[in-house]
Amino acid sequence: MNNNLSSFVVACNDQCTGCRACEVACFTVHNQKDNKVAHTVGTVEIPVTPRLFLTRLEEFCLPVQCKQCEDAPCLNSCSAKAIARIDGVVYVNEDLCIGCKNCMMACPFGALEMLPIAKKGKAVKQTGSDEVRKSAYKCDLCINIEGGPACIKTCPHDVLKLVNLEEDRREKNIKAAIALSLTGNL
Amino acid sequence: MSMGIPEIENAKLLFIFGYNGADSHPIVARRIIKAKQKGAKLIVVDPRITESARIADMHLQLKGGSNMALVQAIGNVIINEGLADQKFIENHTNGYEEYKEFVKKYTPEYAEPICHVPAEQIREAARAYAKAETSMILYGMGVCQFAQAVDVVKGLASLALLTGNFGGPNMGIGPVRGQNNVQGACDMGALPNCYSGYQSVTDDAVREKFEKAWGVKLSNKVGIPLTHVPHRVLEEKDEKKKIHAYYIFGEDPAQSDPDLNEIRETLDKLDFVVMQDIFMNKTGLHADVILPSTAWGEHDGIYSACDRGFQRIRKAIEPKGDVKTDWEIISLISTAMGYPMHYNNTKEIWDEMRSLTPSFHGATYEKLEALGSIQWPCRDESMEDKGTPYLFTGGKFSHPDGRGKFFATEWRPPCEVESPEYPYTLSTVREVGHYSVRTMTGNCRALANLEDEPGWIQMSPEDCGKLNVKEGELIRVFSRRGSLMTRVLPTERVKPGATYMTYQWWVGACNELTTPYLDPVSNTPESKYCAINLEKIDDQAWAEQCIKDSYESIRKKMGIDTAKKEV
Repeated sequence: MNNNLSSFVVACNDQCTGCRACEVACFTVHNQKDNKVAHTVGTVEIPVTPRLFLTRLEEFCLPVQCKQCEDAPCLNSCSAKAIARIDGVVYVNEDLCIGCKNCMMACPFGALEMLPIAKKGKAVKQTGSDEVRKSAYKCDLCINIEGGPACIKTCPHDVLKLVNLEEDRREKNIKAAIALSLTGNL
Repeated sequence: MSMGIPEIENAKLLFIFGYNGADSHPIVARRIIKAKQKGAKLIVVDPRITESARIADMHLQLKGGSNMALVQAIGNVIINEGLADQKFIENHTNGYEEYKEFVKKYTPEYAEPICHVPAEQIREAARAYAKAETSMILYGMGVCQFAQAVDVVKGLASLALLTGNFGGPNMGIGPVRGQNNVQGACDMGALPNCYSGYQSVTDDAVREKFEKAWGVKLSNKVGIPLTHVPHRVLEEKDEKKKIHAYYIFGEDPAQSDPDLNEIRETLDKLDFVVMQDIFMNKTGLHADVILPSTAWGEHDGIYSACDRGFQRIRKAIEPKGDVKTDWEIISLISTAMGYPMHYNNTKEIWDEMRSLTPSFHGATYEKLEALGSIQWPCRDESMEDKGTPYLFTGGKFSHPDGRGKFFATEWRPPCEVESPEYPYTLSTVREVGHYSVRTMTGNCRALANLEDEPGWIQMSPEDCGKLNVKEGELIRVFSRRGSLMTRVLPTERVKPGATYMTYQWWVGACNELTTPYLDPVSNTPESKYCAINLEKIDDQAWAEQCIKDSYESIRKKMGIDTAKKEV
């Protein structure tokens, strides 16, 4: 069971219209408990901190998020041991993060960002300074959140899906095998 | 729209002209994507690479302000290549011979230097449009906000006539109108020339009907369009014709109208200005009286969608504080002015309107409750009449003789074009996170968190290189009418020489720059084209401070609590 490859969320370029509903949903579900962000906009008192990033260029438009790498460069490079793998998900513990940005340098996909930490509806200050404390944030597949990845559920265009490459490979194998069997013995 | 919004999904070809669904109407954009998934061909005409253009089979990236030339070149190809629907033309239209004669000179080669679209691409688009089983045109402000706008609408309708794309499902021509109830405002007669249901104010029989129902004498003259107000305040010499008082509701001309300098002068010159809205806005800064009214979740009513569909809206929460619904305020003002007006609820108002409007007469509250939505015309109160999903069934049009009319005319260039002093063009556009003039969304912390003042100017990477400016840097933008600072957004999605700004920002208000030239028929301003220049700002720290101060000062003047903004 534990030999399985990690799942991750991917987006389909052909369907995305760049509405950013995924970003808002991501922020909302991650701040419901600690920061009392509810489903209506009037409850947002803190900075909006999504963990996936809409990326728009000439020919494409789609959100980019963490691929939950098997040998994760962010985890390997973390100087504070703030990043761990929990049930296949590469997870940042914001209480431990010191904001050294090693993970940002190491990630080949730009899937992490340093964002302000908020608790109890207020920005958390640095020890010994009035500046806002920041932590690395990345997609955690909504592991502690009921209903699974909020971005997938919210997207009005069905752009996002959770991929399971083991299953995907197995299906492709079956299709290839059927095709081969039809060609007869060579 | 001649069709219904759900039909978009089932068209075989979508011809999207000057319409950016992804930013203006994400819900309609969804239908466009569904259509594509169901195998529809997509042709997009837009000077920018919009989300629809990005996934289109064909993108005609025309130069802004050349719409009419392109539309007629398409008509030219359809006729020359024998792709016109002769039977439909013969049975259901007038004016084909004159149209054919007129568009003769609009060959693709003639249009190419005007539109900056290769002639061969125009041909391919025309062929695809004409050959598809059902072709649907969707257009937006990229057609309407030009000084030559109504002509282009008629030109597009002529393409649908030419190919028989009227009178059946999944075809026709659809202006995808902006705000949720802009269609409703027009349907209810909030226009200078008609009563509800587009009944003309100059028609004596109509006027007498309303006079009898309301027990008053009514004017038989067409009123003043919104965009003529500055002229009638600032330049009118005849005191009797001059406007002295202005009652504005649900509108923020000091943000949304072109040439804001002139608008502010107009508002200040007026003897008396009343503003009725849900939050403070730029117009409110010039008002003598402010009447706070309820927002969409706080009252009942009916909206019309852009496909003529009436839908009921219901109050979700009780309004807080000293606010009233728009209809209660109107009733009170009317009563105070000597015409007692009283209603108990919106149903009474709707029923009165229905009794005076034949084409909406069948759309009762009960029927709306049962069906969810009714598209007008709906004439009969019985359940048999469920409304009209698409217009012109069987090719029967609204002209008295029941035939559609072809239209062609010369292309006219925009009113203010580029010059050595103002070498760039500016078009005003929308962005997905903020709605209209930001009266609602600018006050929403989550949305302001994603995009906030002073906004952006979209520029090609080439132009950014030429001016030596980088993403996020503040830049000065100026036209013959005004100047402002905004942030640079380099994007490959726009052509060199053309720039784009969204019009809702208070600090980076692009309508300081726009021109007040109007379409002669619709009186809509040419918001999609004016000439500007750009200037790099060396002292960025100073510029950032200016933006901050200017935002604070606006908020202070509006009485908005600035301390709360800090996070």
